[in-house]
Amino acid sequence: MAGPSTTTPPTGGVLESLSNDLAGAVDRAGQSVVAIQARRRIPASGVHWRPGIIVAAHHTIQREEDITISLADGTTVAATLAGRDPSTDLAVLKVDDAKVPVASLADGSAIRVGALVLALGRPGIAVTASLGVISTVGGEWRTWHGGTIDRFVRLDLSIYDGFSGGPLVDASGRVLGINTSGLSRGAALAIPGSTVNRVVDQLVKTGRVARGYLGLGMQAVRLPAALVEKLSLPNDVGLMVVSAEPGGPGDTAGILIGDVLIAIADKPVGDPADVMSLLGGDQIGKPLSTGIIRGGEPKTVSITIGERPREPRDARDPRAGRRGR
Amino acid sequence: MIDVSTGPLGTELEALASTLRQSVVEVRTRGTGAGSGIIWSADGLIVTNAHVARTEHATIVLWDGRELDGVVTAHDPRRDLATIAIDPGSVTLVAATVGHPTDLRTGDVVVALGHPWGVTGSIALGIVHAVETRRGAPRWIRADIRLAPGNSGGPLTDARGRVVGVNTLIAGGLGVAVPATTVSRFLEQVQARRTRSTSRAA
Repeated sequence: MAGPSTTTPPTGGVLESLSNDLAGAVDRAGQSVVAIQARRRIPASGVHWRPGIIVAAHHTIQREEDITISLADGTTVAATLAGRDPSTDLAVLKVDDAKVPVASLADGSAIRVGALVLALGRPGIAVTASLGVISTVGGEWRTWHGGTIDRFVRLDLSIYDGFSGGPLVDASGRVLGINTSGLSRGAALAIPGSTVNRVVDQLVKTGRVARGYLGLGMQAVRLPAALVEKLSLPNDVGLMVVSAEPGGPGDTAGILIGDVLIAIADKPVGDPADVMSLLGGDQIGKPLSTGIIRGGEPKTVSITIGERPREPRDARDPRAGRRGR
Repeated sequence: MIDVSTGPLGTELEALASTLRQSVVEVRTRGTGAGSGIIWSADGLIVTNAHVARTEHATIVLWDGRELDGVVTAHDPRRDLATIAIDPGSVTLVAATVGHPTDLRTGDVVVALGHPWGVTGSIALGIVHAVETRRGAPRWIRADIRLAPGNSGGPLTDARGRVVGVNTLIAGGLGVAVPATTVSRFLEQVQARRTRSTSRAA
């Protein structure tokens, strides 16, 4: 029914070769992208990272049993949860029988601002994709749950429903990292491959990523000028304790709600992130000299750093499911 | 000074847009605002969405600003497709080249052209997100592309500018297009119905 046309689109142009490259990248990288059934909503995505090892976004794994995984070859296999790390929003699943290729990892140097990238997902049977660029690359950063991510990688692309846990791939189909919307209020971020490797190593070995823990909820507060002067404090901010986990390290050491932390290990603290940075997994069991103000008087308390409980409440936080994709 | 606009990718996209623009019209009807349409054949057949062509008559604005009266000749709300006939008179219409939605792969580059928010001849670039099929035939093309309401009825093309779909709606941030194969089937049925009614009348 199409009538005569005076337009003859050219073949072999750069746009067409870009199209072929991108479709080829989706096809190649898509072989290792899996669908994970571990929540009530639509399936989430994951990547066949190493033989028998599937990497997923922690916030999409909402049950610990009856997890099944659909592979690129159309088969569905049972998976077990090897471990999860809420602090980096990563989880590792094990499968016995995955006859699909493992992801081909790109060198970390491929993570550059302006790099043309694809986010892949398998929120169902077929692999789906979105196109964009890497918009920001920064240094090491700490997530709001205290995890350390080697580089800050922000993406200018759409993370559609079910895309968290899927790979970020370059135009040749090599994997640069794992995408998630669960680390930054829904903004598209990628967890670089080096961080994924580190977390996978730990989760496969011990089933968890150990992190130090004080069991205290803190809020930055400005201190009255008179108090700052009286105690000759280096800083006019402190961290007021707003909650203390009963039996937690802070509670055991005698910290009370209303205490204001002003220094840890002789260094002033004014932001909860200052405290987080002192709570690496290697610090567990070590004493932490903590300067506080209670009732207007300075005091020093020694807190023994504990290990963060294995199943933090946020794993089951219903808000996490809504926030992330 | 570096002239970025003459890079091969930019030049090609500009050429694709200026060619395609000649085959895209603005469809104005009373009440529903403006949508887009595709010149399907040079004798004056325009394809658009049914939700764009809800009235019997429409004003068709060509790429160069000329306005022609259009008559809605077929309307299928189920497929969200409609045809509008215009009498080109002395005007030479440039029909779009129709492509093959069945060849689309996830990741393929796609281009949309239309009149979002009343801005004429606006272009968007994206990729195929998924091609939803039913019984082996493409049913919907989902594209990772930024569309706006005025894109309705306009073309989604492949990297060579061949029309693979009619942009129809935006769902979950994705552009959703009716495949060109569905348009062809719709036009065949319209043609068959017309032939039947003509022979009955005779």
